[in-house]
Amino acid sequence: MINSIRKIKTLLFGLSFLFSGNLLSQVGSGPTYEDLLAGFSDPTRWLTYSGDYSGRRHSPLIQITPENVDQLRSVWTFQSGTTTRGRGWEATPLLDDGILYITGSNNYAWAIDARTGRPFWEYRRNLPDDLTYGASAPVNRGFGMLGNQLFMVTLDAHLMSFDRRTGEVLWERELADYRVGYSATLAPLILDNKVIVGISGGEYQTRGFIDAFDPVSGERIWRFNTIPGPGEPGSETWPNDPDVLAQGGGGTWMNGSFDPDLNLVYWGVGNPNPDYYDETRPGDNLYTDSIVALDASTGELRWHYQFTPHDVNDWDSNHMPVLANVEWQGEQRRVVMVGNRNGFFYVLDRVTGEFLLGEPFTATTWAREIGQDGRPIVLNDGSLGCLPDPWGSTNFYPPTFFPGLDLFILTARETCATYVPEEPANTPGQSNFGGTVFIDAEAGYGALRALDIHTGQLEWEFRYPSPTFGGVMSTASGLVFAGDHEGNFMAFDAESGENIWHYQTGSRIWGAAAITYMLDGLQYVMIPSGTTLTAFALRTP
Amino acid sequence: MLNIIDRIYKKNKVKKLFPSLSFRVSLLVLLLAAFPALEPSYGQGVNPLGSDPRAARVGGSIFRAQCATCHGADAAGIESIDAPDLTQIFTRAGVSDGSVFQAIREGIPGSIMPAHTFPENEIWMLVSYLRSVGVSGISGQIQGDPVNGQSLFSENCETCHLVGGQGGSLGPNLSMIAAIRSQDELTNSVRDPSSIIGRRYKPVSIITTENEHIQGVVKSEDAFSIQVMDIGQALRGFRKSSLREVVYELQSVMPAFSESVLSNRDLDDILSYLQSNL
Repeated sequence: MINSIRKIKTLLFGLSFLFSGNLLSQVGSGPTYEDLLAGFSDPTRWLTYSGDYSGRRHSPLIQITPENVDQLRSVWTFQSGTTTRGRGWEATPLLDDGILYITGSNNYAWAIDARTGRPFWEYRRNLPDDLTYGASAPVNRGFGMLGNQLFMVTLDAHLMSFDRRTGEVLWERELADYRVGYSATLAPLILDNKVIVGISGGEYQTRGFIDAFDPVSGERIWRFNTIPGPGEPGSETWPNDPDVLAQGGGGTWMNGSFDPDLNLVYWGVGNPNPDYYDETRPGDNLYTDSIVALDASTGELRWHYQFTPHDVNDWDSNHMPVLANVEWQGEQRRVVMVGNRNGFFYVLDRVTGEFLLGEPFTATTWAREIGQDGRPIVLNDGSLGCLPDPWGSTNFYPPTFFPGLDLFILTARETCATYVPEEPANTPGQSNFGGTVFIDAEAGYGALRALDIHTGQLEWEFRYPSPTFGGVMSTASGLVFAGDHEGNFMAFDAESGENIWHYQTGSRIWGAAAITYMLDGLQYVMIPSGTTLTAFALRTP
Repeated sequence: MLNIIDRIYKKNKVKKLFPSLSFRVSLLVLLLAAFPALEPSYGQGVNPLGSDPRAARVGGSIFRAQCATCHGADAAGIESIDAPDLTQIFTRAGVSDGSVFQAIREGIPGSIMPAHTFPENEIWMLVSYLRSVGVSGISGQIQGDPVNGQSLFSENCETCHLVGGQGGSLGPNLSMIAAIRSQDELTNSVRDPSSIIGRRYKPVSIITTENEHIQGVVKSEDAFSIQVMDIGQALRGFRKSSLREVVYELQSVMPAFSESVLSNRDLDDILSYLQSNL
């Protein structure tokens, strides 16, 4: 007996030695920047909003295939108990060491056992009663993760850091004064020793920015203002009035992508303020409705491209910029692709910002084409019938890029709206749309559309009964996963667009896109919908 | 329980708003209603601007700037984002100027409807505006014979329409219809029912793969299924993969009653019956 105990003790000692060495430093200490750079190379992890820095949301996993996806079944659900009425659960979970980290509406957050759906901890922020933009859209799109730290932005415009093991707050910093109209909803982008975040509130008297913070100290490293100051480059596209510039809008409420070789961060900028009323802001209104490429070290602007100059339709360009290296008209190009709220699909050279392609993907009547100079040739300012509605021809929810097939697959919204501008009252803390929109609800529908990135031409589509706000993910096995407004989570053959599988989640899929990962040899697919996070696999584990 | 209510008073700044009155807030209503009737407390709030048309005009301007993105330029709501039709709120039991004021000021807990920091007089202007665009139903008393109307109703309408707990459900419940639709609108609906067909009453014809023919109205639909009430008033759900054909018809399942079938006098009798039922 004593002998056996001694043997066990020796064994335990040996084991503890083993675990205190290499294993312990790997298990439980969280991802490094090198891990984030490695993206999808470890299939048991999903470490950033899009799974890697490219924004493609294209996983290399192949266990679930077009041939077997019809056997996909739900294996567990998690109930959040909180929601944003009229929208949805917009977050992407992160996965490491078998633990999911996910945020929810109203600044709730959880750590969840990825095998069973059971929670380890829950966090709820005590939010002020007088939220501004944050009250009208109390959503959140997810954590950023580095080491044992999680990062989340809040509806009262703060950036917070948590210990991922306990959910305890390590530090928090104010991004801007929420009482003016600022809020924050995006998933922070984590780089090497930087947490990059943006801001919401372009319908208020706000001035957008992109900030970089030190993950350890919480100190701000740089800020890029999306609306130039008086005399700064870009200010010539605004009236010479500091007050107009100081409240020009240009929110940055969707996170961006990153090219480590170029050390450039790509980020979308939102609408000018007021949204529909433009008498006070003649000019192109840079850098609203643009993509900006920023030096990741300094936050300096390297180049920009404006999709919708002088926007009067609330067509924010807050989209995930999708990066790929492709053969373009006979030569290798590093490109960035955007399916834009204004109804056009764009391909730009991501080194220089050079315009390569701009083609409509909805029956938009806004612009006839994008000219050689990259500027839209406006066909309809609204006087020739309806335009895409303010929610746009697509929106922030992620698209996917399928390499090899060279398809850009996105959820399109066909809508019909008439805009009537009206001079707004200017009051801090109050939204400021500057007019009214009439939407013909009968005329709307949604569609999953696959575009040839070289021509912008439609390769296939699958139609939904109503305009849809669900994101898209693809896997190397040839599958596309998407969600719709009626609550279906679906799988499609990436090549043909054929719908192979669907599951009614019971609530609209709004703003969210799927993730996928391997655990214990089983490939999981996961989607948030309503108040429910559902995990799917080919068999019950 | 009282403590909870007291705390809600405090949080909602009720005392500041209506210092001379004592209030009770129905917690249940607060939590459940899309546009809560916060009776009885807020129901006693009286709009100091009353029906002043200038107040409604300015309120409309505020509405278009601040509210229309969700509630629609005509205040009729946007279904896809669950924003309710505000033109019908005053037809709901317990909704008053005061409860609407409170909903604007404090928002709707658990919903996307935020609190607003507008000055009180601007909120009252919004209330005036909503009153001005609120559906008002039949104005005045219809000159007709409600007794004959009732008999005509049971003969021609009752199979599909419910009034006072009796009747069918293929068409809308008409128990309160005289309060929310004008005489012209109701006349038009009887004479030309296909001109405006309400959501949940869109006609459809279906043929199953087993060659069953079904006519009905669409209650709900997604990319893979359709939920209908057939003309026999049975609820039926189908996978689209089990259907050979789905045709979205333009003609309402309600027959058109021309003057040769139903005289103007008979129609007035029916409307007078519907009005008498209120």
